[in-house]
Amino acid sequence: MDAETVSRRPVWLWGAAFFVGMFGTGFAARWLDLPSVPSMLVMIPPMLLLIPFVRATERAQAACGAFSPATRRYNRRGMAWSFAYVLLLGVAVIGAKSLHAQGPLLWLLAVLPALPILYLIWAMARYLVEEQDEYLRMKVVNAALSATGLLLAVATVWGFLETFALVPHVPGWAAVPVWAIGLALGTFVNRWVEK
Amino acid sequence: MRNRLKVLRAERGWSQQDLAERLEVSRQSVNAIETGRYDPSLPLAFRIADLFGMAIEDIFQRGE
Repeated sequence: MDAETVSRRPVWLWGAAFFVGMFGTGFAARWLDLPSVPSMLVMIPPMLLLIPFVRATERAQAACGAFSPATRRYNRRGMAWSFAYVLLLGVAVIGAKSLHAQGPLLWLLAVLPALPILYLIWAMARYLVEEQDEYLRMKVVNAALSATGLLLAVATVWGFLETFALVPHVPGWAAVPVWAIGLALGTFVNRWVEK
Repeated sequence: MRNRLKVLRAERGWSQQDLAERLEVSRQSVNAIETGRYDPSLPLAFRIADLFGMAIEDIFQRGE
């Protein structure tokens, strides 16, 4: 087993722990029919697993010679938006219920969880501007194009299925996780092509 | 495009990491260029040529 494989192992472990923790607590909260506030609170501990996950990712990137100052800044910004997203989503959900929000206040609360996502889009744009390593930048651009292609394909097929009442309606914000899955798949394809 | 980067690097006893640091790029970039998976931009090709004190066409040649 080479050093690169060994250095990537913690990434998989922390990543799996993070996703299992987040989805697990989410499903558990729904299954136990917890109110909004406890539902949000139980998701905080698994959310903290994001920190070792990002650190392990950075160590793995450094071990395989693919780490740059711009990557580091992007990772930190990505972590910031993830925490801000959970926080603002909680504020929006709890605020809308407890304040019986209507009118401009409801508009304000509804747009709150979108702000960290806009920050993420800005962070991605900043990465492409700040990345001085043209090869690393090209790989991210390729992965982003794959992600965009996947998103367009999924949205088109789902849209028509929805038009013919075959599938339920999906909110527009689902575009972000679909794009993120596409970015991850694009990164794996990049890695596979390199081998 | 073919290139002589690996040979030129070996002649100087440099590792990929050494060359990457001298060019201020990642080790993966050096590896990708050496193995022909990536053709560098003209500015990076000039930096490589300057580092080895050679002309671009003495390092990079046409062909697979």
